[in-house]
Amino acid sequence: MTEADRTKTILRSIHGRPSRRYYIIMALALLGIIWYGQAYVFQLQNGMIVLGIADWGSSGGIPWGLYVGSFIWWVGIAHGGIIVSAAVRLFRLNTYKPVARLAELLTLIALSVAAFYIVVHLGRPDRVVTSMLRGWPTTVHTSPLAWDVTVITLYFVLTATYLYLTIRADIHSLKMELPRIFSPLYAVLLIGYREDEKKKIEGMAWWLALAVIILAPLFLHGGVIPWLFALLPGQPGWFGAAQGPQFLTIALSSALGGVMIVAYLFRRLYGWEELLDDNVFRGLSRWLALFAMLFLWLQLQKIITGVSIAPDSIHTATRATVSEPLYWLALALVGGALGWFGLQMLFPQLFTVERTVVAAALPVMATLIEKFLFVVEGMMHPVFDLYQGVPGYYTPSWIELSSVVGAISLVVLFFLIVSKVIPVIEVEVEHDE
Amino acid sequence: MTSPEHDGVHESQPLSAADVFDAAWEEKVRSAMASTGWNADLAIQAARGALDVLAGGLTEDEFQSRLHDAYLREFGVDLRPRTEEEMEAAALELDTAAGAVALPVVDSRAAAAGEAPVAVTARGASAHPTVSRRTAIAVAGGGIAALMVGDLLGARARQAEAQTPGHGSGHAPTGPTNGAGNGAANGKHKVQMGMVIDLERCDGCLMCVSACKKAYGLQDGVHWLYVLAYKEPDKPNNVNLLVRPCQHCSNAPCVKVCPTGARHRRSDGIVLTNYDVCFGCRYCQVSCPYGVNYFGWEDPKDAGGGFTGERKDGRGKSVIGAPPRGVMGKCIYCPGRQDSIHQEPSTHCSVSCPMGVIHYGDLNDPESEPNRYLNKRVADSGGKLSTFRLLDDLGTRPNVIYIGHRPSRRAEPTANPVKYEDWGLVNERRTVLEGPEPWFKRMFGR
Ligand code: SF4
Repeated sequence: MTEADRTKTILRSIHGRPSRRYYIIMALALLGIIWYGQAYVFQLQNGMIVLGIADWGSSGGIPWGLYVGSFIWWVGIAHGGIIVSAAVRLFRLNTYKPVARLAELLTLIALSVAAFYIVVHLGRPDRVVTSMLRGWPTTVHTSPLAWDVTVITLYFVLTATYLYLTIRADIHSLKMELPRIFSPLYAVLLIGYREDEKKKIEGMAWWLALAVIILAPLFLHGGVIPWLFALLPGQPGWFGAAQGPQFLTIALSSALGGVMIVAYLFRRLYGWEELLDDNVFRGLSRWLALFAMLFLWLQLQKIITGVSIAPDSIHTATRATVSEPLYWLALALVGGALGWFGLQMLFPQLFTVERTVVAAALPVMATLIEKFLFVVEGMMHPVFDLYQGVPGYYTPSWIELSSVVGAISLVVLFFLIVSKVIPVIEVEVEHDE
Repeated sequence: MTSPEHDGVHESQPLSAADVFDAAWEEKVRSAMASTGWNADLAIQAARGALDVLAGGLTEDEFQSRLHDAYLREFGVDLRPRTEEEMEAAALELDTAAGAVALPVVDSRAAAAGEAPVAVTARGASAHPTVSRRTAIAVAGGGIAALMVGDLLGARARQAEAQTPGHGSGHAPTGPTNGAGNGAANGKHKVQMGMVIDLERCDGCLMCVSACKKAYGLQDGVHWLYVLAYKEPDKPNNVNLLVRPCQHCSNAPCVKVCPTGARHRRSDGIVLTNYDVCFGCRYCQVSCPYGVNYFGWEDPKDAGGGFTGERKDGRGKSVIGAPPRGVMGKCIYCPGRQDSIHQEPSTHCSVSCPMGVIHYGDLNDPESEPNRYLNKRVADSGGKLSTFRLLDDLGTRPNVIYIGHRPSRRAEPTANPVKYEDWGLVNERRTVLEGPEPWFKRMFGR
């Protein structure tokens, strides 16, 4: 494909009237958002009593549920997404270049959704900014939640900068071909743009990528996010030094799966078979297989150490986990994907993009289930279980369930809109020296 | 409080003398305080320092920090106003107090004060719009010194008196307690309010639970104080009880994890939630190993609870009563009672218990009521008393000392001897946390 052809193909998403399919998806996404919107208004009006959560202890409930589980899940997708994109840039994995920007966009919207989950899970969302800022100078020393919000904000800025830097060249070279109604936006994005900045920008992006590759796995999703749980004294189900690696494998599995789904949908929607070719999916599925394997391996570590002669409270918590059918469902989904990818490697004729994407969706679902169980089970089996109300019980309310639909709809809507405004695949091909 | 420590004040830097407080005045203060055993020098220094601030010879911060250590040595706390609001509140209070700066009035009404400095900042909560910051601090500082004299006289007199009936042993202190308080040992007396709970005397009547609920308008199923019943596998016929208030830990996980600073520890060691700041993330609840937190899932009034009393404690922070919707609540050790100058340290639960199970006071003070009770129990048992702190192996440094059987890891919950329902209470809150039905359920039936 010549460069001109390539550019034309990429611009397909921006040019021309949106297809009927586009509108249908958009309508569905809007519906999902409105549905959760009214559910959230109901929650605001009546208080959090309308959710399935309650106090733990004498009350017989648990105070964190699907909202928090979803929060970690989306954060995981976001962190995995940016790691994928940074790896592509840093190690010049040019096969995956076409999904790099999609991964960055996924990171941005997934982080936003995570932030949204923090807000809806608060009893007084109106105080989120004032109370947070007021306490920040002191709370940041000790509160993992304060760390998380800080680091997530930092990452949002980092990702946005990254995207911004890499998008300027594209917008500049395509200026004439982009829709005129958005020209003020392009003008803002291009402020101070100079033809010769490209080299410098590439250097900056490289350093940013390096920062992401080091920080995200080690301290972010393998750090402050699991520490939110692993540092607490009373919940053995959350305790453990392996929580970091475990979170990381889960994040990368869900993010790779997420990127594959997004890429596939774009491929279908705009006929991008040539841009997002089979090799992209084949390659991504191998990486996903690797992380799925690590995921299962770390779960094995947890179970084996927990159910043998572990300290009482850890033993109880692990026993509860392994007697939960949903947990095994999650493991089976990951195992299923791993098995299929393995078969594909052994028998290449089995490969189709569709099958690969279906298999990739399994870990995505599995990780949501796992995150949900992780939060819930940790709370249900505390060290102090002398209460009649422990273990508590919890069923997500219709509002919490709706939030999952709303959040996914929001992501879909975001991609639909963004794909009309900026090229979601990098136009500028990097010419290797 | 031991006397040698009082001497420390003499060594502290002399303040530039203000002529207003002359020798005659000084003499008056000394003679008034002579019988109390409290430190007259400190009172005089505080008054003079305050005047220096007014004259501009001393900055507010210098004034605060110079006597800080002496205050701590003397009282264990330094509750002099520090923020703008606290100063204004204190100034307002003192405007109306007798002889604000000039005269140390020995007032018998002030005599009931628990901790002297607390008394001054205790009541005034509203701001005084016309008092400047500088005036406020000076007036407050000087006034504190003045009132201190009166309050201390009373405090001392009260200590000499026989203790409250029902709780008091009346005996002289039997020496140091068994390391009762946290961090008490290293010379400085730091107040740490806490409880000694004698489980061996508890019969599980739940009067304490009910009193607490009534006092603070708690919703059904909210038990800031909860009584658990459990059995040990090796003694299946024995029902053991565990009275569980908040443990007001010295190393409280909830305070550490709170991302807003709403959950905090007061200078007297009481752990509280600032209802005006908390944004309801429930991280404190998740981090607490004891399960003492109860969230405001709904409007307390909707739930037949609600609280109409004074919400602010002596510092003017909203910490008292059932929490508003969306905000976290838990046992507060009744700060309103502690800050009131007319009361012994006590809580609603401690005074309502007919068996004298709950003993509340400063655990770091060997002469406090809970420590004297504990010492007596230790002595009476011939040194064979079983005491423990709940889950102290988690490093939380809880401030409730239990007398009685420590629950083992194998203990199993069992039915309470007196049911919560017998008192019209709800045991499991989860059963009454039902929100209204959504519109689609109402429309389409169930
Ligand atoms: S619920 Fe309130 S007090 Fe508790 S951690 Fe969150 S902000 Fe702090």
